[in-house]
Amino acid sequence: MATTARPPAERVIAVRDLHVAFGANQVLRGFDLDLYRGENVMVLGKSGSGKSVLIKCIVRLLRPDAGRVEVLGQDVLALDQDQLDHLRVRIGFLFQSSALYDSMTVQENLEFPLRRHWLATARQETEALVDEVLDAVGLAHTRAMYPSELSGGMKRRIGLARTLILKPEIVLYDEPTTGLDPITGREIVELILKLQRQYNTSSIIISHDLNVAKLAANRIALLHEGRNRVEGSYADFLASDDPVVKEFFIFM
Amino acid sequence: MAERNGFHALAVEAGELSMFAGRFFRNAFHRRFEWRELLRQAAINGSGSLPLVGITAFIMGLVLTVQSRPTLARFGAESMLPAMVAISVVREIAPVITALICAGKIGSSMGAELGSMKVTEQIDAMEVSGTNPFRYLAVTRIWSTTLMLPVLVVLADAIAIWASWVGVNIRDTVSWPLFYRQVFDSLEYGDILPAFAKSYFFGFAIGVVGCYKGFTTAKGTEGVGRSAHSAVVVASLLIFFLDLIAVQITDLLGLT
Ligand SMILES: Nc1ncnc2c1ncn2[C@@H]1O[C@H](COP(=O)(O)OP(=O)(O)O)[C@@H](O)[C@H]1O
Ligand SMILES: [Mg+2]
Repeated sequence: MATTARPPAERVIAVRDLHVAFGANQVLRGFDLDLYRGENVMVLGKSGSGKSVLIKCIVRLLRPDAGRVEVLGQDVLALDQDQLDHLRVRIGFLFQSSALYDSMTVQENLEFPLRRHWLATARQETEALVDEVLDAVGLAHTRAMYPSELSGGMKRRIGLARTLILKPEIVLYDEPTTGLDPITGREIVELILKLQRQYNTSSIIISHDLNVAKLAANRIALLHEGRNRVEGSYADFLASDDPVVKEFFIFM
Repeated sequence: MAERNGFHALAVEAGELSMFAGRFFRNAFHRRFEWRELLRQAAINGSGSLPLVGITAFIMGLVLTVQSRPTLARFGAESMLPAMVAISVVREIAPVITALICAGKIGSSMGAELGSMKVTEQIDAMEVSGTNPFRYLAVTRIWSTTLMLPVLVVLADAIAIWASWVGVNIRDTVSWPLFYRQVFDSLEYGDILPAFAKSYFFGFAIGVVGCYKGFTTAKGTEGVGRSAHSAVVVASLLIFFLDLIAVQITDLLGLT
């Protein structure tokens, strides 16, 4: 597949020869991926193919059995807990289910990432940050609500706000539009793009959504049988005669 | 074969539970302690179980009194009633009943709450937010049940003894000061301290089992239900088991 010419940019994530198995279930079998600054890479793959496992390895929620993960020039697997926590501030993670804390209000949810002991954010500053991200996702009125009072799309927005409150350089999105109706899904994609420009982030977006592929992705990587099968632009994928790629595009 | 598998599973579970408890001790006195969450949990657990513990203690005290009276009367030992009820309540009934109620109420809610946090990735979200979920969620909950249970047991003691006085007064009239004096004359430190000590262990068992079940919940909504359910079963069994050990120890120490 033709690689699109791109200006030399700083590489912010490098995943090399990643292997992850759960018992006999070999999920990743030598996966490689690069992410450059300012870029959006979309990762495509069947349900259960290991996409979530991949991005969990990048923030070390899971430890791979073999392989290398480098984020912002640091070897993620070699860091101690404190170094890892410092690195994780620079990486945002939007969970598939939004993962809002049920027992906390929206405000408390947003403040949670600021609890880090070395940040010691002042009260007014915290308030200002919460205001800023709530405004950015257009949900200023939900401050005092609990997650159970929010709709699916609103939860996703608050999840996005919580991810962005520390102004991460990299954001990992796990199926940001899955489970939403097409209109809300499109709104979320547009929001992601808007926030991306506003905060100047680089991101890996796991998705099956055609809107994401068309509107957001600079590059698409197909995760198939544990490996990075093909990579290319949306146009490359449309023109591809790889049967696995075709199968995806029929369904999208 | 099935038997061996059952035994094997039990051994694995016991091992993992002990490791979970060990992890608690390694983190229990960490300098980044989550005081606010501990207070919140103590308030929730304490106030949540108090009504049920209170009602049960009242009924146990009353029933024990009413049912023991005929037997004691046959031996002309009705005056022993306050002492007998007080000793059985303080030594055994209040700690075990309170612990079982809390195993049902707190254990299941912990298993379900932490379990659903686990399956909806809230625990992972805490982890990437730079907050140690074990310290934030498990350590605080285990401390809260460990510290709250003895308090609830003392309340249950008081309520059951008062209920016993109510029971005595159904037939006779005994003044509360007299009843109260008889109760306290009959109780020794050997009755009170071991009961108090074992309450801490019961509380600890409830917290550890509830958190362990929650943290190890399998994916899916059935997983949450299973965690809640097995937290109650395992915690209750563990309470009886600890009670058995406690009895042996008090016996050996001659505190009977
Ligand atoms: N913590 C885990 N323990 C055991 N198996 C897991 C775990 N996480 C994921 N898996 C398995 O790994 C495979 C890939 O999962 P996942 O990455 O969640 O898929 P998806 O591509 O849909 O995000 C699945 O078969 C899943 O059952
Ligand atoms: Mg997934």
